[in-house]
Amino acid sequence: MSGSQQGATQGAERTDDLLETRDLDAGYGDLQILDGVDMRVGDEEYVTIVGPNGAGKSTVMKSVFGLTTHMGGTVTFAGEDITALNPEDIIHKGMSYVPQSDNVFDTLTVEENLEMGAYILDSVPEEQLRVIYDRFPILEERKTQKAGTLSGGQQQMLAMGRALMLDPDLLMLDEPSAGLAPDLVDEMFDRIDSINEAGTAILMVEQNAKEALRRCDRGYVLVQGQNRYEDSGDALLNDEEVRQEFLGG
Amino acid sequence: MGATQAYIRGRKLITERPGLVVVSAIAVLLFLDLVRRILTGATLISTVAGYVWNGTVIGLIIGLAGIGLSLTYSILNFANFSHGDYLTVGAFSGWTASYLVAGLGTATIGELFLLNASPRDIGITATAEPLSIVAGLVVAIVMTILIALLIDRLVYEPMRDAGGISLLIASIGVALALRYFVVFVYGTSLRGLTAGDVPKVSPTIVDGTITIDAHEATLVVSAVLLMLGIHVFLQQTKFGKAMRAMSDNKDLARVTGIPTERVIQWTWLLGAGLAGSAGYLIALKRGSMGFNLGWVLLLLIFAAVILGGIGSIYGAMIGGVIIGIVRNLSLVWLPTDFSLAAAFLIMILILLFRPEGIFGGVKTA
Repeated sequence: MSGSQQGATQGAERTDDLLETRDLDAGYGDLQILDGVDMRVGDEEYVTIVGPNGAGKSTVMKSVFGLTTHMGGTVTFAGEDITALNPEDIIHKGMSYVPQSDNVFDTLTVEENLEMGAYILDSVPEEQLRVIYDRFPILEERKTQKAGTLSGGQQQMLAMGRALMLDPDLLMLDEPSAGLAPDLVDEMFDRIDSINEAGTAILMVEQNAKEALRRCDRGYVLVQGQNRYEDSGDALLNDEEVRQEFLGG
Repeated sequence: MGATQAYIRGRKLITERPGLVVVSAIAVLLFLDLVRRILTGATLISTVAGYVWNGTVIGLIIGLAGIGLSLTYSILNFANFSHGDYLTVGAFSGWTASYLVAGLGTATIGELFLLNASPRDIGITATAEPLSIVAGLVVAIVMTILIALLIDRLVYEPMRDAGGISLLIASIGVALALRYFVVFVYGTSLRGLTAGDVPKVSPTIVDGTITIDAHEATLVVSAVLLMLGIHVFLQQTKFGKAMRAMSDNKDLARVTGIPTERVIQWTWLLGAGLAGSAGYLIALKRGSMGFNLGWVLLLLIFAAVILGGIGSIYGAMIGGVIIGIVRNLSLVWLPTDFSLAAAFLIMILILLFRPEGIFGGVKTA
C-alpha cells in the first residue's frame, strides 16, 4: 500500500475544515521555505506533520500564525481568509500556538503566564483557569513560582496551559516532546490526547514521528517544503516507502 | 573537618579568582580604616552619615532616570544615549512652568518663559511656592513624555527592525539634537533657579549634625513615590505584566496577543516621564541648571544600570543608590575631584566579577 500523493484540490472537497492552507508559499525575507503546501485540519481533528529536519515543518505553523513572509497561496480558518494577518489579529480567531522553545515567560510567575494567555480578554476567565489547573495540577501548586524555575516538562505544560486560556478551537504545538526526559514523553502525548478528546483540534509538529503518527488521526509527511504524503496516522506508519525514507525502517 | 573544608575552599578561591580576593581584601581594609578613623576621631560619624544621605539623594535621581534606560534597553533592545537629554528637557520645561506659575505679575511672560527673570525676584522654594513646584514637576513629566513619543514616531518607529547598534547611533543624534534645541531656546549659560531661605532640619547623629533641606526632602519623597508607583504598575496591573512579558520574550508576547506597539509606546511614556521628573528634581536640589545637565549625568545613569544588571528596573534603582553613596563615601579618602572616578571604579569591578550585574537575569520581574 502506498501513501496517497497529495493533490491541490483534495482540501477543497471537504467543507467542514477548520484550518486549510492552499498552495501556500512562505519563508523568511527572500528565502522561500514552503512550496505549495496544502493542508487541512478538521473540527476536533488531531493532525501531525512529520518529516526530515529542515523540511519546513515549523514554518508551516509559523506561516499559519502570520510569523513568516507570505509569498503566495491562502490560509483559511473557520471559513475566514486569514492569509498574512498579524499574530495579534489571528489570536482573536480561536487559534493558539505553542512555539518549540522559549515558550514561557521565564521571569513571570506561573499564574502571570496564564494571565498573559488571556491577555486579549477583558478579564481572566476564571472557569477556563480552573479547567487548566485541573488538567495540570502541578501548575496550581506552583502558581507563585517563576516560570524559569520550572522543569522542562512543567514548562511545556505551562506553555500549553497558556495557549489553552482562550479555549481555542485549534491548538498548534511545535515539538511538544523536545527536550523532555524519555519517561515524560509518553505522559506529554497522553495529555495532548486528552486535550483533543475534550474537543480541541490539534496540529502538531513532532520529531518523535512514530509515536506522533500512532496517536494522531491524520498525518502529513513534509519534504523540502512540500507535503509529499497524506494519510491516516496508521496508514503512514505502515506505508513501506514512508517507513524506509522517513521513519528509519 | 569544617576547618579543612574552609581551607580547601579558600585555596580554590585564591587560585581561581585571585582578583576577587584582592578586591575583597581592599574592601575589608577600607572598612577597617573607616572604623579606625571614626575611633580616633579623624572622621566624624555624622560626616559619614552626611555622605550617605547626600549619596542617597543623588542616587535616587540616578535610579529614577535609570529605570527608563533599563526599560528601553529590555523592550526596544538598544542603549539609548539620548536618555540623559530627556532629563534636560524635563528640567527646562518644568522650570519654565514653575517660573510662569510663581512669577506671573513680577516679570514679563517672555522673561518667565525663557527663564531670564531673576531668581531672586521670583523667589521659588519648595515651601514658599509649593504650587509652582508641583506644576513644574507635572509639566516636566508631561512635556518629556510628549517629546519622547514624538521622537519615537519620527526616528525610532521607522527603524523598528534595525539592529541595536543602528538605534544606538541614531540615539546619539537625537541626544545632540535635543541638547542644542534646548541651547537654541534657552542659551548655554548656567542659570540659578531657586532663591530664598530653604527650610532645613539638622538632626544630631552621635557626634554632630547632618543637614536635610526641604528640597532634598521633596526630591526623596517624589522619587520614592514614583518608584513605588512604577513597581505597583509593573507587578499588579495587566498592562504592566504585559510589559514585563514583552521585555522577557518578544516573540512569545507577539503570539500571545500582547499589543507590542502599544507596549513600546508605554515604555517611552514611563521611561521619559521618570527621566523628566528626575531632571526637574535634580535641578530643584541644586538650585541651578545648564543645558548639559542630563548629558553629564548620563554616564552615571549608565553605570547604575549596568551595575544593577541592565534590563532590571530594580537593579537600576539599587544601582543608582549604590553609585550615589559610593561616590560620596569616597570623599572620606579622596578629594572631590576623584569622587566620579570612584563611582566608575565600582562599576568596572562589578563588571569584572559579576558581568551580569547585581540583579542580572532577573530582568524587570
